[in-house]
Amino acid sequence: MAGIIDLILSIIFYPPIYQLVLVGLTGALVVVIFIIWFERKATARVQRRLGPYHISPRLAGLPQLVADLIRYAFQEVIIPKTVDKELFVLAPIVATVLSILPIAVVPLTSNPAYWPIPMDYSMLVALALTTVSPIFLIVAGWASNNKFSIIGGVREAFVITAYELIAIMSILSASAAVLSFNLVEIVEAQRVWYILLNPIAFLAAFLAVLMATSGFPFEIPESENEVVAGPFTEYSGLLYGLNMGAAYMKRFAFSILMALVFLGGWSPYTPGEGILSGYLIPSLIVVAKATVLMMIFSLTRSIYGRFRLDQALEGAWRLVFPMAVLGFGLALLEAYLGVM
Amino acid sequence: MPAKPVVKRLPARRGLFAGFKGNVDAITIGLKYLVDPKRFTLIYPNEYIKLDPGYRGFIVLDPKKCIHCSSCARICPAAAMRMIKRMEEDPKTGKPKMKLWPVINYQRCIFCGYCVDVCPTEALYTVPYHDIVYENMAEMDWSLETFVKPPEHPTAKEGIPVKYIVDEEKGLVKVRAEEVEEK
Amino acid sequence: MSVWVYGEQKSELGLEGTITRKLEEDLYEVFIGPQHPGSGHMRIIVRIDGDIIVEADPDMGYVHRTMEKLSEGREWIKNVPLFERMAIHDACNVTVSYVMALERILGIEPPPRAKYLRTLLCEINRIAAHLYGFGIFGVFIGHSTMYMWSFADREVMVELAEKLTGARLTHSYPIPGGARRDMPQDFPQAARKAVRYFRRRLDEYRKIFLDNPVTRKRLEGVGIIPKKIAAELGVVGPVARASGIKYDARLAEPYDAYDEVEFEVPVYEEGDALARAWVKFEEIKQSLRIIEQAVDWLEKHPREAPIHERFWAKAPPLWKKVFEAEGRVKLLPLMANLKLPPGRAMARSETARGEIVYYVESDGKTTPYRVRIVSPSARNAIVFKYIAPGYKVMDLPTIYGSIDYFPPEADR
Repeated sequence: MAGIIDLILSIIFYPPIYQLVLVGLTGALVVVIFIIWFERKATARVQRRLGPYHISPRLAGLPQLVADLIRYAFQEVIIPKTVDKELFVLAPIVATVLSILPIAVVPLTSNPAYWPIPMDYSMLVALALTTVSPIFLIVAGWASNNKFSIIGGVREAFVITAYELIAIMSILSASAAVLSFNLVEIVEAQRVWYILLNPIAFLAAFLAVLMATSGFPFEIPESENEVVAGPFTEYSGLLYGLNMGAAYMKRFAFSILMALVFLGGWSPYTPGEGILSGYLIPSLIVVAKATVLMMIFSLTRSIYGRFRLDQALEGAWRLVFPMAVLGFGLALLEAYLGVM
Repeated sequence: MPAKPVVKRLPARRGLFAGFKGNVDAITIGLKYLVDPKRFTLIYPNEYIKLDPGYRGFIVLDPKKCIHCSSCARICPAAAMRMIKRMEEDPKTGKPKMKLWPVINYQRCIFCGYCVDVCPTEALYTVPYHDIVYENMAEMDWSLETFVKPPEHPTAKEGIPVKYIVDEEKGLVKVRAEEVEEK
Repeated sequence: MSVWVYGEQKSELGLEGTITRKLEEDLYEVFIGPQHPGSGHMRIIVRIDGDIIVEADPDMGYVHRTMEKLSEGREWIKNVPLFERMAIHDACNVTVSYVMALERILGIEPPPRAKYLRTLLCEINRIAAHLYGFGIFGVFIGHSTMYMWSFADREVMVELAEKLTGARLTHSYPIPGGARRDMPQDFPQAARKAVRYFRRRLDEYRKIFLDNPVTRKRLEGVGIIPKKIAAELGVVGPVARASGIKYDARLAEPYDAYDEVEFEVPVYEEGDALARAWVKFEEIKQSLRIIEQAVDWLEKHPREAPIHERFWAKAPPLWKKVFEAEGRVKLLPLMANLKLPPGRAMARSETARGEIVYYVESDGKTTPYRVRIVSPSARNAIVFKYIAPGYKVMDLPTIYGSIDYFPPEADR
């Protein structure tokens, strides 16, 4: 009996698992609820509206998102006859899980006791994990067997090809500057935040994340006025909610990564011993930085329309990709000069 | 002075920083409204607009002025107004007499106000409110008894009356109705 | 490409069955509408090759209400509220030419005050309709701020219209011989404030929407209608003017007070979606000018009933009292059963979307013998078929929004 409990405890306290549960699921849920609320509220302010209001005006409508969540959870999940059932159901679930997975491998503290995995190649692992989930959006579109879904899925595929390289190159430029794939080393090396040393790479990464998570002006796969809801046209209820949430989860994962790489991670705090000082406080700082980043992401909705697909791709390849290359070159130069 | 056509050119967009300036302008405007949204949303059940007396709301009959001429029923474009016959005592002779009375069916009424304008004795008048909910269709077909008194205005009991004033800075400004009336 | 007739059946009327074409290989057929967030009450059958539109078939008629036939069963004046329903946010512009046609048959001319009042409401409506168009256009290309802003600012114009007529949208304002109300005392002040507000506000619109690099990129060079093609297709309104055609019903045949007020008709030559947006944008500016001039004129001239003598000369004292107190013009009971002399008339006016033409024929009865309406959206719908092919699928909402197609008006 004691053996089983030990086993369960060891699974729970296995670092990647609790990081995934604590930061990846609980943290992400709280942050995503806050961010969706913030996005709706900020957009509403720019657009001279009230935004969420009637559910608890005192909290400025914050519980509206919880209400929406409950609504999604209890809505009927309609599975049309013509869809490929297994893939149709699995795709959003797998996409959501995978989009949060990068959090399981990033360090949120410099204290080795709380590292989820050995950190030597953590940057590569995290970046690799970010590239898995979009496949399942295409799968969702394909499995729906609906023209709009397929068009949306194909658009998603096009957009992936455009942003992935940019995102990876611009975030990897930090590795080039520090000459290490170790995220902890990258964070510790930032006496000055890397965003100040290499704003070009940051801008490229910012745009790539916007593209990755269907933020305006790159909200192309789901653009409502052409393809209804893109890959999610046939979805309803909780599965639809998962699909919508997946984009925000992914944005959260990317934001954590960007907070570590560009915004100095847990600085100015120096993690110490014990769970409070060694893990909770630094991880809160990282999450707070990621949240601020996400708040900036969500402001684009109120200012821009959406690009046309070919314009977005053209912009990505002609403008942002050279920017990412330039950022990478700048990083190499900095490494050569020993700035970082 | 008749109008004249003027050929215009689209504003040119050349130069290295044209796109940059456009982005900065758009973001500046966005942030300006993020700080000061200048909104004038009506939080409806808690507030309601106290409309001007000229507003074409529900139509009510003043039976004392009605001369039973049927003009209102004839001009109604939606056939909402119709005349009903009713036996009434003639006040002079004391004998029962057939009289025509208008009644209105709010299922059909489009609030064009023709009937009010055509009434030769101003027996019909509009009340400046519009937001009355009926539970079923039959209730909307008013009888003469309902037609002769202004309908209840439920929002007025709960909500705060506000008025909108055209403003140079904000477009419209929402103010308490009492403040406007004081001026 | 061969024409296929299903089962080669013909109905008793001799009409062929549904004509369909066999789809060429590698083409993808997408039905956009009628239950689609970006189609309005219509369907566009689009055949695409990759991302390029090969063929676009506008399938109209989902909101057809037989307006022309309905009008034949109604007395003359009752058709005003009916025709308003074609485009309720542009109510005065749509109905004023019908009323003008009736006036031509009656042989009466409204007094100048009525003309100015109608012009005033027409321009208020034009701004509101353009803002409506901008809002829809904005949301079509994903710019939700434009949508919310223009709908919020449209409220200012709706408020003015409400002050003037007593109704927010379906004003039923023009009647044969004049207009139904004079403006209230506080109207000029409010109108001037609104004009000043809009002048400032349009600059912000320009910054966030028209000069926004994303929007600009999205609109530039999309849906180009060259001048010659525009003339051949017979498009009207802002669509024609964006292609360099100097045509405006207010210009060609000034009605109401349009020959007395000073304004410009903006014309652009590029013919793309951006030019169409700019035409509307500049037109709002000109409408503001007209509103100012109309309000000035109305304030300067004495308040008198804005209706033809024939309907006011025998007015009892009560009516004059009502007009003085409320500005309301009482109607003669004969308005309901107005008999028009036999005759026919045509009238046109410039709505926000282009020229609307009414042909009215009377055979001396209380109802029309025939009313024919040619509405601007119906004339502009052809753009889908001939202009959309060759552009990307994502350009379809841009083209749709830029021609400001309004199905209820096109279908009648």
